[in-house]
Amino acid sequence: MPILLEQLRYVVLGTRDLEAARRFAGEELGLQVAKEDADEIALRSDERQYSLVLAKDDARRQALGLEVRDEAALQAAAEALQARGIALVRDPALAARRNVRALAAFATPGGVRVELVVRPQNQAWRFFPQRDAGLTGLAAVALRSTDVAADEALWTEVFGLRVGDWVGDAAYLGFDAAHHRLSLHPSARAGVLAVEFGVEGINQVMQQFYRLRPVPEAIVHGPGRRPASGQVFLSFAGPDEVLYTFVAEGAQVDPAAPPRPRQFAGGPESQCAWGSECRIPELDGRAAAPSARPALRGVPRG
Amino acid sequence: MIRLRDVCYVRLGTRDLDGATRYANEILGLETRERSRGAAYFKSDQREHTLCYFEGDPADQVVAFEIDGRAELDAAGAELERLGHAVHRGTADEAAQRKVRDFIAFRDPTGNRIELAWRPQMGARRYHGERDAGITGFSHVGLCTTDAVRDEAFWTTVCNARVSDRIGDAPLLRIDEIHHKIALFPTNRAGIQHINHQVATSDDVQRSFHFIRERGIPVVFGPGRHPTSSARFLYFEGPDGMVYEYSSGVRSIADEPTYRERQFEFGPPGFCEWGAKPEIKEFKA
Repeated sequence: MPILLEQLRYVVLGTRDLEAARRFAGEELGLQVAKEDADEIALRSDERQYSLVLAKDDARRQALGLEVRDEAALQAAAEALQARGIALVRDPALAARRNVRALAAFATPGGVRVELVVRPQNQAWRFFPQRDAGLTGLAAVALRSTDVAADEALWTEVFGLRVGDWVGDAAYLGFDAAHHRLSLHPSARAGVLAVEFGVEGINQVMQQFYRLRPVPEAIVHGPGRRPASGQVFLSFAGPDEVLYTFVAEGAQVDPAAPPRPRQFAGGPESQCAWGSECRIPELDGRAAAPSARPALRGVPRG
Repeated sequence: MIRLRDVCYVRLGTRDLDGATRYANEILGLETRERSRGAAYFKSDQREHTLCYFEGDPADQVVAFEIDGRAELDAAGAELERLGHAVHRGTADEAAQRKVRDFIAFRDPTGNRIELAWRPQMGARRYHGERDAGITGFSHVGLCTTDAVRDEAFWTTVCNARVSDRIGDAPLLRIDEIHHKIALFPTNRAGIQHINHQVATSDDVQRSFHFIRERGIPVVFGPGRHPTSSARFLYFEGPDGMVYEYSSGVRSIADEPTYRERQFEFGPPGFCEWGAKPEIKEFKA
């Protein structure tokens, strides 16, 4: 029995310049500061108490927070991961800092740090954005992975995620009514490629485009529409080489009867049905050297 | 009252008929239906033609509106003459060139050449564009006006147009339930200011933005969204300085008795709610 994920919960991003990261999160994304101290700022985007944590740390220190149902699920995850030789380490001190009942962390074969949390807190008072960007909440996280096939196997076999679609070697993974909540992109280094926030509609995506267009190099992809998920999107560069994407619309999936995953060709054409320019190496196939191309899951490398 | 039922066709003179034809086919995505007697006819919807380029002066520009009957055509001619507009009754040969049974031609108060057409020809075959621009049909024209108040009065009192909204002094006029089929933009000349084709979805608008830009054709406004009609739009340059527009999602005004026109500012926010800034002379203060 796979361990069911309840929710995509938060992203932790290390940053050397906490003040710059905070300014970007507030002024560009419109996130609301939930709590902060000298070393860490937690920011809200929706009903969750926070969905983005900025930590004064090495920029390579990143983590993904995923909610599991209860203590039993955490225990089952520990066993399932142990069977694959992956240690799930409990951390009560971090659980207290993250304001959750229990927390245990592991690293995926592709190098991404994951925090499994039990009973994270929602906020009763509604989200009040610093800027009216039209955010509806944390929607998805795109991950760089040094071993996409092994990561895909972990997520589908241990946590029961379904493959929404593949685009080239990248895998889009979902567990609820959204087309995907995680995506895995082959890369020479591991970490968070992009944090994706839902916005109300195409108007907010296009307004962000015109807001950023005068800023050189700010827009890295879009505005466009993803052929796989049907989402309208705009990706733009944030601090510490992390990208941010605003998404809207997109296909809804019946998790009980999901459609069969489709394989799209690799390359920028498969990333945008409008034909927008793509400057993200992970999406146009430039990030992974040919030798690093992952084997298909379950098929020995020939 | 002259009852305009729909915008019908546009006729544009050009010194380079081959170039204009290539543009209409390869860029706009229209279908050539006929090349004859120094003219090319283009199809954009179920009608036999909605655009005609002919060998001539590029300043020679005509827009036609369909009216219901020959008696209405006669009455319209008489009314226009009474108001001091010179009216030309189309000859059989001229009517054949326009693929209509009968028409009259006159100039509006600014001097724009207008035709009223009876029984324009429908096509038996459906439109199939030269490229997949998603065009669903020719939908409206922007007309130049040298006096917006005077011309608004002409279109709304001599003809049956109603004001749907105004951007500054520029009225957007409807003759059916579509938000506008005519728009009047203040300037210092007569002529057609832009030509609109509707496309099926806002994806088509966005795709054409990249298609057109990649071919080195100036995009002069958009992609954007009009706060007036709610249409997603793209304006780009055509032959002889004409501006073409694609748009999708134009608002319908179904509740005619209670609809009240609104006033928008004459500035970028009045033209686009996404933040695009027009590079079109008549859209700039």
